[in-house]
Amino acid sequence: MAIILSEMDKAFISEIKERGGFDIHACVQCGKCAATCPLSLAGFPFYIKKLIHAIECGMREEIMEDSSMWACQSCNRCVEVCPQDVKPYEVLLALRRAAVRELSVPGNTIEGLRNLYKTGHAVYPKGYQARRKAVGLSEEPPSTLSFPEMLEQFQEFLRNSELNEVGLFPMKKEEKK
Amino acid sequence: MKKVGFFVGCNTAFNRPDNEAAVRYALPKLGVEIDNLDGQTCCPAFGTMPSIDDAAWAASSAWNLIIAEERGVDIVTTCGSCYGSLSESYHNLHAKPALKEKVNEQLAKIGKQYKGTSQVRLLVNYLHNEIGLDAIKQASVINLNGLKIAVQPGCHTIWPSKAYFEGESDAFHPARLRALVEALGGIAPSYSRLTDCCGMGAMRSASPERSMLLFKKKLETINTELAPDLIVTGCNSCLMQFDMSQDQLQKKGEIENVIPAMHIMQLLAICLGADPKQITAMSVQNMDEILNKICGVKI
Repeated sequence: MAIILSEMDKAFISEIKERGGFDIHACVQCGKCAATCPLSLAGFPFYIKKLIHAIECGMREEIMEDSSMWACQSCNRCVEVCPQDVKPYEVLLALRRAAVRELSVPGNTIEGLRNLYKTGHAVYPKGYQARRKAVGLSEEPPSTLSFPEMLEQFQEFLRNSELNEVGLFPMKKEEKK
Repeated sequence: MKKVGFFVGCNTAFNRPDNEAAVRYALPKLGVEIDNLDGQTCCPAFGTMPSIDDAAWAASSAWNLIIAEERGVDIVTTCGSCYGSLSESYHNLHAKPALKEKVNEQLAKIGKQYKGTSQVRLLVNYLHNEIGLDAIKQASVINLNGLKIAVQPGCHTIWPSKAYFEGESDAFHPARLRALVEALGGIAPSYSRLTDCCGMGAMRSASPERSMLLFKKKLETINTELAPDLIVTGCNSCLMQFDMSQDQLQKKGEIENVIPAMHIMQLLAICLGADPKQITAMSVQNMDEILNKICGVKI
């Protein structure tokens, strides 16, 4: 049976191509990536081969409602083994970028981005100062945490970036007291 | 004297600062001066800017690459994710001139420009290629005396090989971590799931149960095929997984014995004479037995 794509399905595929999945149409569904993808080994429904197939079939809603894309380990095995040079991981990133613009984003992703904006670090666990001190290191690493003027400059860069356009959280410049 | 910029990242700095301490001990012992890359930020992690936009990802990495350029040093990392994200950005900025132009337009707004003069290097590769196995052997004060070790290189440390200027010669049979461990006197046999994913990373956040499935499968293979004294990782995130998750599985009664785990920089620092307790201070696992074995005395 032929699959008839609607204009919306076609627009979705175009969006995936524009956002980084340029070579998606080169995929022949050979399954090399599926054999090596941690998502498939761990039993996620939409591992990379199926994601690509689902995008091509216009299954936008099914993909967006499933958490598989956010569980991808970014391991790049798929890129390494793909005989068609689809760069499957880049298709997955493009899909995440499309999901972000529908505000279909897991809470921990937003938290990571918020941490990145506030501190310069996406991972920012509590109690680290005591851990660092215990092994003889300075309480703060030599990052933007130790250089407030550089943090301000980094935040200015982020405010000018696509992150602000996407609007996952407010990114206002803090008033100087 | 050689000099490198130490990109400490998030997880090493905050969760495993003992591994950061190991780097700060080991590199000077091998004649390498450390630049702190003052003002560095997140690499950025794959779940953050890379999942937002191509140019914003490359520009965020470029923030860090520029700091290294200004210091005139290459970047070294303990963490596979930092190595991966920074290297992919480096690769993309060089392979795609239009991307570089766009990134530099964004960076110009804060008075910065990316040139592309500093490389990104995983510490495993830096030790292997730049310091050399002989120099490491000569500098060691402890010999591992045939200690049996299962290595865990880490996904991001090997793939995508096109992004890595000094990657493994065979990206499905990584050899460098094994060679380093053997230079320290250990034996590091291969095993069938050597390159399998440990389950750390986005999957552990999205579904801890499924992440644990992957981890258990790998662990069982290590136990069955090698039954090693120690697991040595090339990646700080793999270190966290092998440290925390074995403990959790044991508490749930799902595994009997726990194999101690270290990052290669921790093992190296100990062999170079560092205080073994301090260099493994953040381990959830009890490290006493393995440290006694390595150091040959009760510590």
